[in-house]
Amino acid sequence: MEETFQREIVLRTLGLSKKFGKRWAARNLNLEVHRGDIFCFLGPNGAGKSTAIRMILTLLRPTSGSIEMFGKDLHQNRQDVLSRVCGIVEKPDFYLYLSAYKNLQILGSMNRSVRSDEIMEILDVVGLKSRAFEKVRTFSHGMKQRLGIAQALLTKPELIILDEPTTGLDPQGMKEIRELIKRLSHERSMTIFLSSHLLSEVELVATRMAVINKGELIAQGTVSELLGKEATDYTLQVFPFHSALELMGSLTWVKVLSVGNGAMEVRVEPGQAPELNKYLVTHGISVSSFSPHRSLEDFFLKVTGGKSEI
Amino acid sequence: MKLVWFETVKTFSRWRTYIGFSVIALIVIITEVVMRLSADEILYRMLRSLEKDFLISGNVLNGWFVTAFIMNSLHIHMPFLITLVAGDVVSSEATSGTVRLLLIRPPSRSRIITAKYITTFFYTAGLVLFLGLLCILLGLTLFGSGDLIIHHYGRFGIIYIEEAEIPIRMLFAFIAAIWSMMAVASIAFLLSTLAENSVGPIIGTMAVVVVFLVIGNFPLDFFRSLKPYLFTTYLTFWQRFLDDPIPWQQIGSSAAILGLHSILLFLIALGVYTRKDIKS
Repeated sequence: MEETFQREIVLRTLGLSKKFGKRWAARNLNLEVHRGDIFCFLGPNGAGKSTAIRMILTLLRPTSGSIEMFGKDLHQNRQDVLSRVCGIVEKPDFYLYLSAYKNLQILGSMNRSVRSDEIMEILDVVGLKSRAFEKVRTFSHGMKQRLGIAQALLTKPELIILDEPTTGLDPQGMKEIRELIKRLSHERSMTIFLSSHLLSEVELVATRMAVINKGELIAQGTVSELLGKEATDYTLQVFPFHSALELMGSLTWVKVLSVGNGAMEVRVEPGQAPELNKYLVTHGISVSSFSPHRSLEDFFLKVTGGKSEI
Repeated sequence: MKLVWFETVKTFSRWRTYIGFSVIALIVIITEVVMRLSADEILYRMLRSLEKDFLISGNVLNGWFVTAFIMNSLHIHMPFLITLVAGDVVSSEATSGTVRLLLIRPPSRSRIITAKYITTFFYTAGLVLFLGLLCILLGLTLFGSGDLIIHHYGRFGIIYIEEAEIPIRMLFAFIAAIWSMMAVASIAFLLSTLAENSVGPIIGTMAVVVVFLVIGNFPLDFFRSLKPYLFTTYLTFWQRFLDDPIPWQQIGSSAAILGLHSILLFLIALGVYTRKDIKS
């Protein structure tokens, strides 16, 4: 049952493309977002993330391709589909001359009838209850960002699409948004589609991800699937250290990359890590740590040709 | 209806919306107070040529006359005041970025743009009615009531309307004025859908109105031949409700031409907006 739940696709793009003049901002994107995912959409600045998100949220008309949400074609079932989706594109901009409460009332009521207590409850969730009746003009960027998430939550969406939600926030603000995203996914069973170029952020929240560069999809899958493929470098802490070093020197499928601080970095043939561990243990070496180098940053730099904006 | 209500709340929550009302209040109050203080001079100027041919008695400089006098300047300052909001109602969403929040909601773009157009109509109607009511109320207070004797610029003779008939004629005149001003508002509205700030639509609309007015009033045959095709020619058709007899056919054709302009401009705005890529 859980398997079926996880596999349900809430968003699928088929050959989604957008051309501005002679330039393809997005080309042949085939994305799949499953229910319950925290799906991170990665790419360098200008890669086409926002263009794709704007097409998904009907702000841009695709040049070609189609978008399905909840198994329905978006453009043929726009009202029904968008009543189950909400998002923030780039930065959350509000009616500055209205209060936070009034903004939520107007925006929320465009999806469904919202009660006053619902608005106050959501403002409480994002920590803005005490500022409910103040004009948004007086809010900081972080508060607007939280209000942006509040307006998305108010409509009780099944899918939330957030375009660079931590941009411009200080570390504390970034942490708050990150925690909020995790909480929404776990406590409210929402599917989250999140674009970012902040890899450290993505690494902490993503369950699945896709990487886009120059408008084209480069990779897509679960985080472990994508990073696991690249995990051939490891850091080892072993004892006795020099015996281990000698042993590994005799193995053709292991290369010692560096040694220092009581640890060594080695590269093994793909899939050979368990073999190396077993080999060391059977030769009387204590292995206290055997950790893979599979950082998202390495992966990202590799698949985007090193053109990260990090 | 909910969308219209929200658009109305947004429009009337902005201080910009009240500039028009404040300016009108200033114009009307200053004009009527100055007219009251200069009543003798005005009466002398009004009657010195008429008294050669007519025997005039009663309260000629009354509230109705003052209202008609101020309304004559409608096509000069009202378009500008209307464009302040009509030229901003769509473009301000792009300027502020709220368009990205607005257009990802379930209501279709055509419903949203229609709600904005209806709100523009409310604002335009509100502004014209405010002008009319303020003119009448202040006019009747300062000058009292009486029969209406007026002379339309560029036309021969004077028109006399009995006091009892004036309120209903004024009501029709205001409705016609709203209709006229909606044609101007529709230009600003269309330009607002094309622009991402309100300066362009406001200047653009005023440029169209001024250029058309100048062309329409240029004393050359070529420009006179163009006059029937310029919507500004029909903007003052509300004055026909103060003619005697009322030229219903002329009013009907003017209203139809202005109405067609408004509908056409709205349909173009609708087409533009529903197909527009939101890149801002």
